[in-house]
Amino acid sequence: MEVKTFKDGGAHVPHYKSFTEDKPITRMDAPDEVVIPLSQHLGAPNEPLVKVGDKVEVGQKIGEVDEFISAPVHASISGTVTAIEPRPAYTGGEIMSIVIKNDGGPQEFVSKEKRDPDKMTIEEIREAIRDAGIVGMGGAAFPTHANISVKKPVEYLVLNGAECEPFLTCDHRQMLERPYELVEGARILMRSIESKKCRIGIEENKPDAIAAVAEKARGYDGIEVVPLAVKYPQGNKDQLIEATTGKYSIRGVRSADVGCLVRNVGTTIACYDAVVHGKPSMERVVTVSGPTVPRCGNYIIKIGTKIGHVLKECGVDDLNGYKVVLGGPMTGMAVADLESGVVKGTTGILVLPPDMVREEVAYSSCVRCGKCVDHCPMLLYPNQLSIYAEAEMYDELMEWDVMDCMECGICSYICPAQRPIVHLIRMVKPTIRKMQRAAAGK
Amino acid sequence: MDNQKLVFTPAPHLKDDLTVNQAMRDVIIALIPVSLVAVYFFKFYAVFMIAVCMVTAAITELVFRKVMKKESSLGDYSALLTGLLVALCFPATAKWWMGALATFIAVGIAKESMGGLGWNRFNPALFGRVAVIVLAPIIMLIGTNFLLVPANFGAVDVVTRATPLAMLKQGMEMPSIIKLFVAYPGGAMSEVSPLALLLGAAYLFYRGHIKWHIPVSILATVAVLALVTGQNPLYHLFTGGMFLGAFFMATDWVTCPITSKGRLIFGVAIGVLIIIFRVGLAPTEGVAFSILIMNAFVPLIDRVTKRISYVDPRLRGAAAPGRERATAKG
Repeated sequence: MEVKTFKDGGAHVPHYKSFTEDKPITRMDAPDEVVIPLSQHLGAPNEPLVKVGDKVEVGQKIGEVDEFISAPVHASISGTVTAIEPRPAYTGGEIMSIVIKNDGGPQEFVSKEKRDPDKMTIEEIREAIRDAGIVGMGGAAFPTHANISVKKPVEYLVLNGAECEPFLTCDHRQMLERPYELVEGARILMRSIESKKCRIGIEENKPDAIAAVAEKARGYDGIEVVPLAVKYPQGNKDQLIEATTGKYSIRGVRSADVGCLVRNVGTTIACYDAVVHGKPSMERVVTVSGPTVPRCGNYIIKIGTKIGHVLKECGVDDLNGYKVVLGGPMTGMAVADLESGVVKGTTGILVLPPDMVREEVAYSSCVRCGKCVDHCPMLLYPNQLSIYAEAEMYDELMEWDVMDCMECGICSYICPAQRPIVHLIRMVKPTIRKMQRAAAGK
Repeated sequence: MDNQKLVFTPAPHLKDDLTVNQAMRDVIIALIPVSLVAVYFFKFYAVFMIAVCMVTAAITELVFRKVMKKESSLGDYSALLTGLLVALCFPATAKWWMGALATFIAVGIAKESMGGLGWNRFNPALFGRVAVIVLAPIIMLIGTNFLLVPANFGAVDVVTRATPLAMLKQGMEMPSIIKLFVAYPGGAMSEVSPLALLLGAAYLFYRGHIKWHIPVSILATVAVLALVTGQNPLYHLFTGGMFLGAFFMATDWVTCPITSKGRLIFGVAIGVLIIIFRVGLAPTEGVAFSILIMNAFVPLIDRVTKRISYVDPRLRGAAAPGRERATAKG
């Protein structure tokens, strides 16, 4: 199998995967209380289907809304609803959530059926995925059923097994331990988008996963594993499409119209579980890692488990001066409140000690070293964008294509002047969006 | 575990090690070999000139930034680097206050008055050096009328030798190529050993601070055009400010184009200008003038070589759809 990669930009960032890449997936005990946000996805927030005092069962649907772009939420434990109120979200604000108290009974989801996907219609498949509340689990959290409800066949199904972010290994372990479910999930998705070709992109630093998945895919014509060179941000949609299929994303064109539908491998496995076993989205594999975490690993964690609880279970004690990050260290978000909970899009919980923490140091002017320009995968000029963003020069920002930035973070990572380039770009995007909408509205 | 002081800052949460200070220090380190050769030949004259320039640079930057109500940026080592570079552009036996003046102009006018590191349009060290050349008549006037204290550290027997470039121009017999390349005490301090400069440049390549595009395009262009005009290319490469210019001056981050394509154009143009200066005009600071002239063209080069975004349809051969361009003026 030939190793593929993307041509422009990219950088080698340290991996830090040795902490957890050999740790098999283990189930973390269900906590005493879960806080399940009613909105864990892009799209309309759900309305609660239960009220305070109701007894719920693990897997029971507890929130839904009648909008196309939405995904219902389900109880992750059996117990009693003790509150339906705003609760801390990891972003620092509050979000309407359903709080369930553990009833002490068995908490693992037991499947009541086993369906044969080959005997189901495409409509039934999509309905099963929608009903299970599956959203993109690589972090994007877009409702999957909406993605796969395509109007015409898509040429390629591309599965994202790159996992290019440092520390994260949840996708790696899932590919290694559940390759059958991955390949079968791929077949289910291929049917629903009427695609005959599937490409599973896996970075070369996971040779065992490549072998395991390739073995299972061998019987199927059309499903191919593509080993990828280890280069950040290989897992970003545009770079993944380029490396696995040779196609290029175009501004304003949905990737399905370019001929590719990209799906995270964790989401694919969840789709299999949903379609075949009726298992809803209420727990997921999360990598808990960091140089000072005593019990790093890849854990199955119930949605709604508080982050503070997860860290305590892993032996983390003192967090003064630390940074806790949800997701990967390049694009993930720092946690403001340890009372916030794990949600469907949480790929990892990282504990970064003070000496690794990237402080907001005083930064200097751009010294035009050109490193950001050399490494930007979108072929932008991050240094110019940062200068214009600081000066709030919006016309120039649009002229230099600021909205094409996909916020991979390489520019900020590599800048010798310590300029927070991605942050400056993020801050101006809402204004530009508003300006574009106003212009379009005329 | 309650909400202890968690650090809450935006992504990315990892940082590469390189800082501006580190890069500047590396360039200073890279200039140590040639400085040592200069000291070997010119003894205390070299040490004095370098010291005077570096101290002047530091003081100038401090004073200018204080007056402009900015924070001191001595910590980024760029002032000290500029001082060292200016010193190396002078012969060791030049009047010390000319070096100081050149440094003052370099740091105060070419750099700080333009907005500080990152905003200067011209290479500060070359700007200062060339300013002093251009102001020579006025300086002569001041020098003879006010008898500024000359530095006298005893005789150095290389003082009266002509610079290699002058010798080349006048058709005098040249010292051997090897001698010119390894160690020859003629001209400015940076001319004494292209080999030492090459060693320093190798260190910078190894650290990733400079790329091959500018040095190679300058030196290759000069070599080819020298051959074309019937001259020995090696005599041109190893004399004058060629090596210092190609490896240290033209590659200055702030004042060169930001893309590889732009840098190649920049380098070739500099090479052409150098040959024009050397063949057509007096053999003085052709490299410095050429680089400064091309510094002025860098914004144009960047604009002409501007690449388009990865997702721009024009990159893939499609026609650009009408892009919504909202403007502030509405």
